Amino acid sequence: MKMEHIERPELLIIGGGPAGLSAAIVASNHGVRTLLVDEGVKLGGQLVKQTHKFFGDEEFYASKRGFEIADILVDEVKRSPNVLTLTQTSVIGIYEDAVGVYDRTKEKVFSILPGYILVAAGASERFLSFPGNDLPGIYGAGAVQTLVNQYGVLPGKRFLIVGSGNIGLILAYQLYQAGADVVAIVEITDRIGGYEVHAAKVKRLGIPVLTNHTLVRAIGQERVRGAVIAKVDEHYSPIPSTERELVVDVICLAVGLVPSVELVMQAGAELIYVNELGGYVPRRDFRMRTTVDNLFVAGDLAGIEEATTAMIEGKIAALTIVEELRNLDLSEEIERLQKKLSIFRSGPTSEKVRRGLEKMGIHYEGVSFQNVKQTPGLEHKLKPVIECFQPIPCNPCETSCPTGAIVVGDNINNPPKIDYEKCTGCGICAISCPGLAIFMIQEDYTGNRSLIGVPYEFLPLPQKGDVVLALDRDGNIVSNAVVEKVIKSKNLTNLVYISIDRDLAHSVRQIVMPESKPASYVCRCEDVTVEDVMRAIDAGFTDYEELRRYLRIGMGPCGGRTCSSLALNLLTRKTGRSPYELRPQISRPPIFPVPFASLKGGEEDEG
Amino acid sequence: MRIENHPILRFSRARRFVFFFENQPVEAFEGETIAAALIANGIDTFRLSLRHKRPRGLFCAIGKCSSCLVEVDGKPNVRACLTLAREGMRVRLQKNRGVVGVEDGAH
Repeated sequence: MKMEHIERPELLIIGGGPAGLSAAIVASNHGVRTLLVDEGVKLGGQLVKQTHKFFGDEEFYASKRGFEIADILVDEVKRSPNVLTLTQTSVIGIYEDAVGVYDRTKEKVFSILPGYILVAAGASERFLSFPGNDLPGIYGAGAVQTLVNQYGVLPGKRFLIVGSGNIGLILAYQLYQAGADVVAIVEITDRIGGYEVHAAKVKRLGIPVLTNHTLVRAIGQERVRGAVIAKVDEHYSPIPSTERELVVDVICLAVGLVPSVELVMQAGAELIYVNELGGYVPRRDFRMRTTVDNLFVAGDLAGIEEATTAMIEGKIAALTIVEELRNLDLSEEIERLQKKLSIFRSGPTSEKVRRGLEKMGIHYEGVSFQNVKQTPGLEHKLKPVIECFQPIPCNPCETSCPTGAIVVGDNINNPPKIDYEKCTGCGICAISCPGLAIFMIQEDYTGNRSLIGVPYEFLPLPQKGDVVLALDRDGNIVSNAVVEKVIKSKNLTNLVYISIDRDLAHSVRQIVMPESKPASYVCRCEDVTVEDVMRAIDAGFTDYEELRRYLRIGMGPCGGRTCSSLALNLLTRKTGRSPYELRPQISRPPIFPVPFASLKGGEEDEG
Repeated sequence: MRIENHPILRFSRARRFVFFFENQPVEAFEGETIAAALIANGIDTFRLSLRHKRPRGLFCAIGKCSSCLVEVDGKPNVRACLTLAREGMRVRLQKNRGVVGVEDGAH
């Protein structure tokens, strides 16, 4: 029976990513004998290498991390009695009379005669031409995600990312999580391509996103040793005088994806070139059927988009196939899913996809959304401040809120609105938000201090009482902060509550542990930092002698030769008093360390 | 370089073994592809290009681009990104297109 299932499946699904897995579950639930074939060592497609929480709505696993969604789907497929899965198995061709399959573990080619075929083969990385683009160390962004998040292997230490779409932005964040340095993200156009919330996450870590910049060439003979970047003019040509060298050992290309259409092409399906969907894509109808009767497509291969729409497309394709195989009417469920798709695609971030689909006669209506910028007031109260202003298809803030205070509404592209009267300040929305765009704030905390809760997904996790660095939205260190409490969360988005000066409550949005940013030292002998001096001046030590006694500046072996001018400088800057008014430090002998014995006039005999 | 601690992910590195790249031992863990294990050991040139003999390594990591072809136990054109590393496996830089019936060069 197993042979029959493999050789003559009613439905062959090529590709075990979100589209293929979702389709397999639907087909199996209706008793369709389904064979799912995937090239990889693991099912799940590109979900397995995503560590961020997904957007979208709950039915499609919003707020779950990509690899968790893969686990859920794969579990369900494994439990489905009518699905057989083959991994490490590649479809090598769709011939007129059969599908050729290569089992890599057995090194054996065999043929399959399926009733229906769903091709959900995904996409491949778009390549870019620049001198040195073939060097080892130049990777597609997805390849780096695979190495880092699937295998736990960092291919370098310092990364440059080309392209600021969602993949480039997410990759930057993931590399930071893995402990690597992201030197910059370059973006050739004048604006960041990805979601604003993804961009905000990266910017507040201090990773520069350089718009109007491009990669000019890679440096290195046998592998990447660096990169030359430059500003571009209005024709996107690099301006030579603006060239600069970056020391990096990995260059990640996040410049888009190309649908993998080889197999549908071989099957005789018509392809059309639709720039907005990633290039050549199969012409298909609302039900995901290509111009070949028994050949369906879903996911990135049908047009570059994202995982939620891939899952819905996979389901629609499978339901249509079930209808035909079993002579059923499943139009109600298909309609429901179509409606989900049209809502999902109604926002401004789907504008490009809408334009692309229009070219094959598939129309989705765009909707305009109101900008919601709420000023909460209620300064005595701990409450969420939601910095999600761009309409994106996402609503876990609404579905996670236990008191119904946050409303997104029927169209999940709506920016959230919050009723602060209903809000209890529990912080669950901040933990659930996939964009990490919700911060807990209480302006009136104690005295002139405010309390801020920031979502935190890095190591090490700070502990109560730690002094951490507080960063603003652009990643500038603006102050020290004291950790007041740490809420560890099951979903690993922890909330770290810090207290800071009240006037910083609306600018601080990130914390880092002091170790991860090297300090600026004033005094090398006693390890006194600029931060220490600034804090001491703030605390009222406004004279060099006071600072010296408080911080031990100038009391080390160098006798103040290195630090006193820097310390005086900081005093001048901070207090506005000129160095003329400040007294220099008093110098006392010896001016460098000498052995005690020498002071007594030379070595002394033991006896 | 292998990541030891990660805020979100756990990497189970249960069974450790050794395979060979250009006759040098390479450490790998169960479940790693040849490409992942080589890069973890700082090796990123997998083959030489056909005409210009340029060093080439991993590019897409999901079997699409064919940049990472290596010779495994004498068989050419093996995608290092999709092939699991096995104990004792002998991997070599691929320097040409590969020859039909090359198996007799194995082991």
